[in-house]
Amino acid sequence: MIIELREFTRVEGNGKAEIVIEDGEVKDVRLKIIEGPRFFELLTLGRHYYDVPDLEARICAICYLSHSVASVLGIERAFGVEVPEEIALIRELGLIGELLESHALHLYLLVAPDVFGYPDAIRMATKHGELVKEGLALKAFGNRIRVMVGGREIHGINVKPGGFGRYPTVEELERVEKESEALLRLARRAVRLFAQLDPYGAQAKHFVATDGYLWGEKLVSDEEGAFHYTERIEERSLVYSFAKQSLYKGEIFFVGALPRLLLKSEMLTPAAKRLFEEHREKLETGYVSYNNLAQAIELVYSLERANEIAKTLLDRGIEGENVPVEPREGEGIGYVEAPRGVLIHHYRIDANGNVAYSNIITPTALNHAMMEASLLEEARKLYGEAEERAMIGRLEETVRAFDPCISCSVHLVKL
Amino acid sequence: MMDKLKLGVFELTDCGGCALNILFLYEKLFDLLEFYEITEFHMATSLSEENHYDVALVTGTVSTQRDLNLLKEARNHSEYLIALGTCATHGSVQGSVELPIREKLKAVYGDDGNPMRALDSKPVVEYVAVDFALPGCPYDKNEVYQVLMDIAKGIEPVRKDYPVCLECKLNEYECVLVKKGLPCLGPITYGGCNAACIRSGLGCIGCRGPLPGEVNPASEYEILKDLGYDDEYIIRKFKTFARWEP
Ligand code: SF4
Ligand code: SF4
Repeated sequence: MIIELREFTRVEGNGKAEIVIEDGEVKDVRLKIIEGPRFFELLTLGRHYYDVPDLEARICAICYLSHSVASVLGIERAFGVEVPEEIALIRELGLIGELLESHALHLYLLVAPDVFGYPDAIRMATKHGELVKEGLALKAFGNRIRVMVGGREIHGINVKPGGFGRYPTVEELERVEKESEALLRLARRAVRLFAQLDPYGAQAKHFVATDGYLWGEKLVSDEEGAFHYTERIEERSLVYSFAKQSLYKGEIFFVGALPRLLLKSEMLTPAAKRLFEEHREKLETGYVSYNNLAQAIELVYSLERANEIAKTLLDRGIEGENVPVEPREGEGIGYVEAPRGVLIHHYRIDANGNVAYSNIITPTALNHAMMEASLLEEARKLYGEAEERAMIGRLEETVRAFDPCISCSVHLVKL
Repeated sequence: MMDKLKLGVFELTDCGGCALNILFLYEKLFDLLEFYEITEFHMATSLSEENHYDVALVTGTVSTQRDLNLLKEARNHSEYLIALGTCATHGSVQGSVELPIREKLKAVYGDDGNPMRALDSKPVVEYVAVDFALPGCPYDKNEVYQVLMDIAKGIEPVRKDYPVCLECKLNEYECVLVKKGLPCLGPITYGGCNAACIRSGLGCIGCRGPLPGEVNPASEYEILKDLGYDDEYIIRKFKTFARWEP
């Protein structure tokens, strides 16, 4: 017998799951990504490098800037371009804006209704209006940073190889400095709320993240040594899903907020670090549902870090100079932490500056196997114990804990 | 108080931006909710109880059999259907990958089969009649607000009839095509974004699709050629968001 779950709601994109029951037991779970394929790698083939980040941004609206930055990093590495600290800091600020916008959307509008038992945030607002408003305030702040750095709330084209079209102004940075401080109180409250929840889903055994907090030169894991994805991560196609599945040295692994905290807690800002220590024991159990608590702690991190960056830039003053980019034949990989985990853009570029090869692997694709494992675990626990409706509800929550971005998982790959 | 209008948001294959942009209306979303009740919006709510919509917003391209079924469902059960965003109106970026679907699947997934029933990405307007088309990748959120308000008040929403260029002039932005030689599609692109990209000092990449009617793609083509861009580059640029023949 197969129990078909209807399409997931309150996630970005289209997906559903099937539970396979044999002899009265849950035998298997299949997570089906039914969002149609969009062929981004084919789209960028033969394209001039300058236009590529703007196209790749369209992979996902919630984290378009992560895609622009990952794409730009891949291109710059292919050409051997290094950017000065100013440009790096502004990019980081953009990624922080995205983290705030995405985590706030996810936690307050998509997950919180589960916590309080509502079908959506609009209906939840009748009783918990304050909370919804707080979420929207954080989200709007994140979006203002995205406009400042990325050029638009969604799919801006301001982030370019070698720099930006337009640089932030002093007034804009002062505003970031002020608002980030004012919002910190709300983020702390979110941590208290999400710390109360009981764990569910599977316990992850392997974690992967970039070697810097929000981007890096390479990846790190719970094992020794930084590495390139080609060395330890493998992808495979599935007949029932448009998203491929990835394994780390043949095993299931997890990317996202929780892995970031566990692997890189020493890089956190002071208040975020204290909160991490306070909840460390819980987080270290590796339950995927604690990803939501980790996201709340990252709200605190993001606000503190945005404040630091704005201060630094204001102190040094903005030069607003782009680095010249000369195309040459080369290969480069951009690693970024999108809000929902590691994002990889890998390109080979020819002597004319046109893309000859591209491979993009997104966090939801990396987490696909982990999501299936979590669904299986929950289904086994609940099948026969809970009513079917309750079981299905919990399974949906399990998927939501990942902060999946289904449109982004649809891919993508080797040519 | 009269009954609220039932609003459905249907998301086909896309990046989620056109659906998300509705949530980005913030307080204005609550203004809209004075007139509308959202009864289907799968990114935002787990409720899905109606099968009749006064207004249906459809985002994304038809890229699978599921998309096509959902689109027909939306059309059959709605009074007023809006194709929302460049995916729905012109196919946007995924529509520009011009290979037969089997070859695309083979290149990416490495097999000849098509078990999930993927189709070549096509805009919504190629499959059903729509009552209004609002392009943009994504569209300007104030525009959708205006359109929905107009409908609620019984006014037929207006279509803009000017290119992005005009918005540069109104904002007094320096022309990046003339002054910097950047490949800007502003002169032939449907306005309404308030020249967002030119504000960043960058050229318009045409995300709102071509302005219908009087525009002159041939002269834009000549300008870009004179600036030293080669044929293939220009044609690709023209075709990225809308399948546009120079
Ligand atoms: S038109 Fe652009 S923003 Fe809208 S759904 Fe399509 S790709 Fe996303
Ligand atoms: S300027 Fe052009 S590319 Fe930018 S938002 Fe407007 S129409 Fe889209």
